[in-house]
Amino acid sequence: MILLEPNSYVLEETLLARFNSEKHEVVDITLVDFDNVIYHVQTQAEQRNLLTLGVEMKYFNEVVQYGANEILQREYGPYLSSSASGQYQITLEFNLDSLPEDKAGLAKHVSMLKRNVLASPFVRAFEYWESQQEGAGPLMATHYREDEAIYVQAQQDRVTVIFSTLFREEVDRVLGRVFLQEFVDARRQASIQNAPQVFYSSREAPLEIRHLPGLKQDESVGYVSFVLFPRHFADADVREKTISQIQLFRDYLHYHIKCAKAYMHSRMRTRVTSFLKVINRAKPDRTTATSEKRTATGRYFRPQFRQASASPQLGGESEW
Amino acid sequence: MCPKVEAGNTKEVLLNPLVVSRNENEQVLIESSINSVRVSIKIKQADDIERILAHQFTRFLMLRAESFIILRRVPIKGYDISFLITNFHTEQMYKHKLVDFIIEFMEEVDKEISEMKLSLNARARIVAETYLSQFV
Repeated sequence: MILLEPNSYVLEETLLARFNSEKHEVVDITLVDFDNVIYHVQTQAEQRNLLTLGVEMKYFNEVVQYGANEILQREYGPYLSSSASGQYQITLEFNLDSLPEDKAGLAKHVSMLKRNVLASPFVRAFEYWESQQEGAGPLMATHYREDEAIYVQAQQDRVTVIFSTLFREEVDRVLGRVFLQEFVDARRQASIQNAPQVFYSSREAPLEIRHLPGLKQDESVGYVSFVLFPRHFADADVREKTISQIQLFRDYLHYHIKCAKAYMHSRMRTRVTSFLKVINRAKPDRTTATSEKRTATGRYFRPQFRQASASPQLGGESEW
Repeated sequence: MCPKVEAGNTKEVLLNPLVVSRNENEQVLIESSINSVRVSIKIKQADDIERILAHQFTRFLMLRAESFIILRRVPIKGYDISFLITNFHTEQMYKHKLVDFIIEFMEEVDKEISEMKLSLNARARIVAETYLSQFV
């Protein structure tokens, strides 16, 4: 499994299980997704046919400016509950008695919720490009994690997406640099000439966002810019695919850094076992040394220097 | 009796230390005394990745120092990994096999680190290409 799915599989499974169950049992499940998104699936004890899905998304207030509410209304309109309660920025409500025919489709669609919400700045940027206005569009920042952000800006002929990446540990930083360097170099391959252009700079922010206040400038931060060309978003189908892909960049990168670490760990384990075998060869083999040896006449043979340690009753039978 | 090379408080029982050096990044220091020998190895580290890999690998080994008997838990200053062989070790174990172990270790550790580095680079390339080829 090299690529990640844009939807949350665990949310899809949970919802589908609830939709399909004959008996409406009381549930209270908390699930997590990438970028600190938390889903809370719940039914009330008195109204068992009502299933609520609360979504905790720290950056929701930011994406509302880029039209996240319109997207939610369009995608999940009938289920959207206005009673936004406390910590949940989005609340969906399903009546289990009146679900549509295609339950699996609905569960799948709901599991794409995070993707659809985070798509809003991208959709906005692509629409700006379509309007063919002069000059660059607004710079849209989404602080989707603490200290990390996605910046999207439309230009006349392209859309630039900048990720600020933060590596807290030195090992991650070194591995991350190796991976990111490959992202930059990969485009030289003939087969992926059509991919967006990738730039990577550590410490120094790219020109588009250099004027922003509060940018961290030290060893641990890096900036990855993707330049999307019209062929990546002119067609509606391709556009949706591009959005799903580009959102997952950070998760994809970190997922593979972890895979690389796990692989190295298992390699080191094997190597340690083989070293242990070598060092154990240096220990004299005690099991064969203690086995009894007999002479041709059937008497016990025991070398002289071991006699002191031999047990007294057997000692009588020895040759000496 | 404690290993004299570790105690180091009696000059008379220490022998001259010896450095075998391929270049300034790859060295072996052998310190001997009347009852113990300390062998310290500096592993080649050409860049950041090799430094990280060497550090992780030696740490991984030293956490298991108990089972390696002659491995020191902490390397001496300036080196990456140290072995301490005392008179008790040489009395209980075959000396030539201990030498074999240290030689094998030195041969394998470089090989292992460069293989890990190669596989990391290969993985990074495949990961990047797979991701980018998703964009039509």
